[in-house]
Amino acid sequence: MDRTAVIGVGMTKIEKNKVRETFADMMWEAVNKALDDAGMTIDDIDNVVTTSSDFWDGRTISCMAVGDASGAAHKNVSCVEGDGAYGAFYGMTRSLSGSYKTTLVTGHSKGSQSVSSLITNSAFDPIYERGLGMDMITACAMQASSYMHRTKATPEQLAMVSVKNHGNALKNPLAQLPMKITVRDVLESEMIADPLHKLDCSPISDGCAAVIIAHESVAAKFKQKPVWIKGVSICADSFFFGDRDLSRARSLTEAARKAYAMAGIKDPKKEIDFVELYDAFTYQELMWLEEMGLVDDAMAGKLLEKGEFDMDGRLPVNASGGLLSGHPVIAAGLYSMAAVVRQIRGDAGGFQVKNAKTGLVHGLNGLGGQSHCVFILDKDK
Amino acid sequence: MAEYWGIKVEDIFNSMQERFRPEGAKDVNAVFGYDIKDEGKWKLTVKNNSMVIEKTDSLSGCIATMAADGETFVGVNTGKVDATNAFMSGKFKVEGDMVLFGKTGRLFRKFVIAKKKMTVKDYLADMFATVAPRFKAGEAEGLDASFAFDLGGPDGGKWTVFIKDKTCTVTTTIEGKPTVTLEFNDAKDYVDFILGKIDAHSILAAGKAAAKGDINMMASKWPILFEKYKDPMAGDVTEQELLVLKKTISLNQNFSTGPIMGKFLKGLKDKKIYANQCPQCGRLQLPPREVCAECRVRAGDFVEVGPKGEIRYMDVVYYAMPDPLTGVARETPYGSIFILLDGCQGNETLTHFIRKDQIEKIQMGWNEKKGTRVRPVWEENRIADIWDIKYFEIDE
Repeated sequence: MDRTAVIGVGMTKIEKNKVRETFADMMWEAVNKALDDAGMTIDDIDNVVTTSSDFWDGRTISCMAVGDASGAAHKNVSCVEGDGAYGAFYGMTRSLSGSYKTTLVTGHSKGSQSVSSLITNSAFDPIYERGLGMDMITACAMQASSYMHRTKATPEQLAMVSVKNHGNALKNPLAQLPMKITVRDVLESEMIADPLHKLDCSPISDGCAAVIIAHESVAAKFKQKPVWIKGVSICADSFFFGDRDLSRARSLTEAARKAYAMAGIKDPKKEIDFVELYDAFTYQELMWLEEMGLVDDAMAGKLLEKGEFDMDGRLPVNASGGLLSGHPVIAAGLYSMAAVVRQIRGDAGGFQVKNAKTGLVHGLNGLGGQSHCVFILDKDK
Repeated sequence: MAEYWGIKVEDIFNSMQERFRPEGAKDVNAVFGYDIKDEGKWKLTVKNNSMVIEKTDSLSGCIATMAADGETFVGVNTGKVDATNAFMSGKFKVEGDMVLFGKTGRLFRKFVIAKKKMTVKDYLADMFATVAPRFKAGEAEGLDASFAFDLGGPDGGKWTVFIKDKTCTVTTTIEGKPTVTLEFNDAKDYVDFILGKIDAHSILAAGKAAAKGDINMMASKWPILFEKYKDPMAGDVTEQELLVLKKTISLNQNFSTGPIMGKFLKGLKDKKIYANQCPQCGRLQLPPREVCAECRVRAGDFVEVGPKGEIRYMDVVYYAMPDPLTGVARETPYGSIFILLDGCQGNETLTHFIRKDQIEKIQMGWNEKKGTRVRPVWEENRIADIWDIKYFEIDE
């Protein structure tokens, strides 16, 4: 198969409330940064994929809010509703299609403009489950409990994820919540939905990210060093919340397995150098690592205690600070992708990890990770 | 108790409570009587959106009483007997307030005849018995073909459907050399496939079925030659189970205007209308947007335009959606107008409303000539909102 590469990335700072900026303002900034990063003008972009959520944006056909600013006028533009990683997947397929060589993929959201719990509640089926008042936090709290019960992961281990990632964010100027905190701070923060404390949860955030994905025939034509997409897969689990063993993420295991195979990775524990994954809640970092086969089953908590996932550890995880330090829903997967791209290029600045050759990007959709997307990015083609 | 079409008179009365529609009983507060020959008497009391049905000896005190024999009563209630004909021929009578009795018709959902469960064998018999009636002769012009079905398992059997000279015949054997043969290891899978419970490709891929001969004839021609098989059990979903849940999804949103739209709205408060201008192409955007869509450059320079202008287009709306911000339906008709404010050109128009009593007097300019001149009518207490302009009126 032909290859594609990420040749430009751009992000706004993630903030609690960008009251001065509209979607178009955020988009303008992120897209221009990505174009500058790539050494391109908007005329070098063949087509555009925007990523947005109508509910979060409070308008239907929400991609229209960013059409002008993303430079989509007079181009083929299509919208993906879901995490930015899924937008990147679609963008990649367009660059592989033969019709386009370069695709600009954007993701935007402003959590500050709406009530997130009402929106995630609306993800449940309207006839039965919605009325029970479940939302993303309560659903994930149930998943956290079942994960902790099965693996014997402790509240302290969960808290250490928060301490690590907020600490990493101190090195990332785009992060919303850089914080030097302790395990005790986390455990003493307000209990939101047992076992999740406030500091086990990611914040409400505003932000916008853009990446440019090019076909191999033009990937080296522009300024930036291409970062190659070696493997990728999306897998979905059954939709109904109760159909799943919540302590497991079968679809993630499957997505990771397929992405490794595509990238020619035989032993992911040895061949993946670092990871940016979807840590909307602390337990998710541990659970996703195990389900992706990057550590042994039920061992993530213990390895975390040993410092293996620290910025200078054996397998740095969320060196950017992750989503716990800023969670612009929808744009999130593109922020993770951009962080991995910058690591591989050696451009990550304060949160640069050593030997960053092969990195993993993880995005997800749905309640407690109903569907997962895994990208393997590499320095070498 | 006698049965008519498999239904007893009592079945109708006993199911009334379940079939009752409170929404149909809003303006009914009365006692009705039913006198069914050789079966007995029943009294129906409807009050405060609820009902009671009881078997009784006396029908005194009923405002209206219906009298019929069992067959007519069951027939009318199940749709087997036409109610108007039965009434006209005197097969059922109503004494008392006939108008009020007429309202009992909307008190109840339809009585649905419960069906026996069908086995795989029943289905196969029904499916092949209906092949000939489902045949569309007009699609079989010049066709000479035979479709064989070899269905295994305890309930299985063999069938061949012949089509020749625009006629269709079915045998319960497989003879000669069929055009195409469909083989199922288990006839149950065939029934499930025809009923749409499982898909063909999964069964074929699993090796549970195979098609031999001219497969295209089965896959493409069969669906054209025959009407789709209708499951006789499919009517089993009673109307009582087809519910509609009325909910209002309410998601609160805040929308930041940003500095560009903020400047425009603040301008309205000061009785000024601002457009922003693209520094590259010079085009005005009204209301202003952050980025020029044509040139993809920031458009941050503001130009005061209007407030008077001329009408380009007007659309008279007769069927109005409710005002999305208040839920109140707008008064119709009203005129939506595109105004080219003084200082604007081309398509740089602003949308608003025309004064209601002036709709008739408006001349549209299209893009060709000058339209009627209008001016904004400002709200007394302005709050930086689009309704700071109440509407536009003719500038005389």
